[in-house]
Amino acid sequence: MDVQLFVDLQDRLDQESTLREDIKNAINELYKTCRLASAKLAKAHAVPKSQTKEVTDAIKPQFETIRQNISTLVSLIQPVTFYKYHDMWTNAIQSACGLVVFAIYLDSARLATPSDIQTYLGCRVNTENTDITEFVITLEEYLNAIVSLFNELSRLAVNAVIVNDIQRPQEISTFASDLYAGFQLLNLKNDNLRRRFDSIKYDIKKIEEVQYDLRVRGLIS
Amino acid sequence: MEDISTTKREILSLFTSYRDALDSHHDQRERVIKCSRDITALSKKIVFSLLRITQVSSPDSVFKDAEKQHKQVLDLFRKISVELQGSNSLKYNRQATPGLQEYIEAIGLWTFLQDNVLISKDQVLERLSVANPDGIVVPLVSVTDEDYILGISDLPGEVNRYCINAIGKGDHEAVKRCLMFLRQMKEGINLLMSSTRVRDLDKKVAVLDSSLEKTERAYYSMSIRESEMNTQSGCLSMAVDA
Repeated sequence: MDVQLFVDLQDRLDQESTLREDIKNAINELYKTCRLASAKLAKAHAVPKSQTKEVTDAIKPQFETIRQNISTLVSLIQPVTFYKYHDMWTNAIQSACGLVVFAIYLDSARLATPSDIQTYLGCRVNTENTDITEFVITLEEYLNAIVSLFNELSRLAVNAVIVNDIQRPQEISTFASDLYAGFQLLNLKNDNLRRRFDSIKYDIKKIEEVQYDLRVRGLIS
Repeated sequence: MEDISTTKREILSLFTSYRDALDSHHDQRERVIKCSRDITALSKKIVFSLLRITQVSSPDSVFKDAEKQHKQVLDLFRKISVELQGSNSLKYNRQATPGLQEYIEAIGLWTFLQDNVLISKDQVLERLSVANPDGIVVPLVSVTDEDYILGISDLPGEVNRYCINAIGKGDHEAVKRCLMFLRQMKEGINLLMSSTRVRDLDKKVAVLDSSLEKTERAYYSMSIRESEMNTQSGCLSMAVDA
């Protein structure tokens, strides 16, 4: 038997682990920026709707950095090996998408589209099941980011009342239930997205409870 | 009649297209899993055919049987290759790899029995190659280093089976070959383990170790019996004296 065969294999695997290290570093940078942006964006929970614009404007620099972090990551990955390392960054990319989705909801009370994501993060969202020839954000990552929005919405409904904005929960509720109706169209498998989808109903319930409290006291019609 | 808002209509239409994309992905994934399972089953049949080698007078008949089954496996690879083009090859690697590993094990055993060497990755790709419509011979699917390593690390179990059968037939040369082969595999795999982590390799190394030990034990018993035979008269007289 030729030991050379194993030596060659080892060489190739070693090269790969160097690449993995580089990818890990790039992802850590991305995480760092995302955490900072997320902390800044969370301030939107503490202010009335009229002031959210200031909050979303304040994280513009972080989105710029996030885009740079992602482009560093993209530069490390050859499209053909995209799926080999995909697991490594999928969570980080999801966080980044989640920030975009929340920021856009705060800005314009609508759902961020795949093209919004591309504008903010510089990567195309692959909304079809097709062969890819470039670094993409997967449909699952985008959908997971939307699931995270429900969590923010339920918090926002509660916090809107705290800052005396009793009309806002109604608006949030309508949007959340429209979005939930969208999710219910999907045929989900027993995967991560499915588990997170199952948790949406609790967020919806929380938002409805806020509305109930307001209505039962005659604060809204 | 409920009045559907524009927002809702937009969301529903977007999600309908997402549903189609997800369905298409899940269907494709399912097809890969099924085909991979079929490849596994057929590869196991090849292994069993090959292990019959100690039962027959001429190994050629065994290889002929295996060749027939190999043609069928290639048909399955033709089927699965449709799903594994371009980036999809790695996208569905986790679903495809069990079948591929089993296949590598089968042709690895074949190569060992025929040529007494460890099959190389290039040889695997060669066996997987057929002429495409343009007449160029290319592998039906790509094989990653991990697929290959995990495939060959399943070999020791089968080599050990062959070795035990060979002992039953009194084929000492075969037993010696098996032991050499397993020792070299152990050395090679240890080399790989020393630098990198390959998913699932740990479990397979445990099997490798136990196969090696079983083979060494078997060789040991055989050696004892052999020397016993050679010195039987001497031993007997000693026993009587005592």
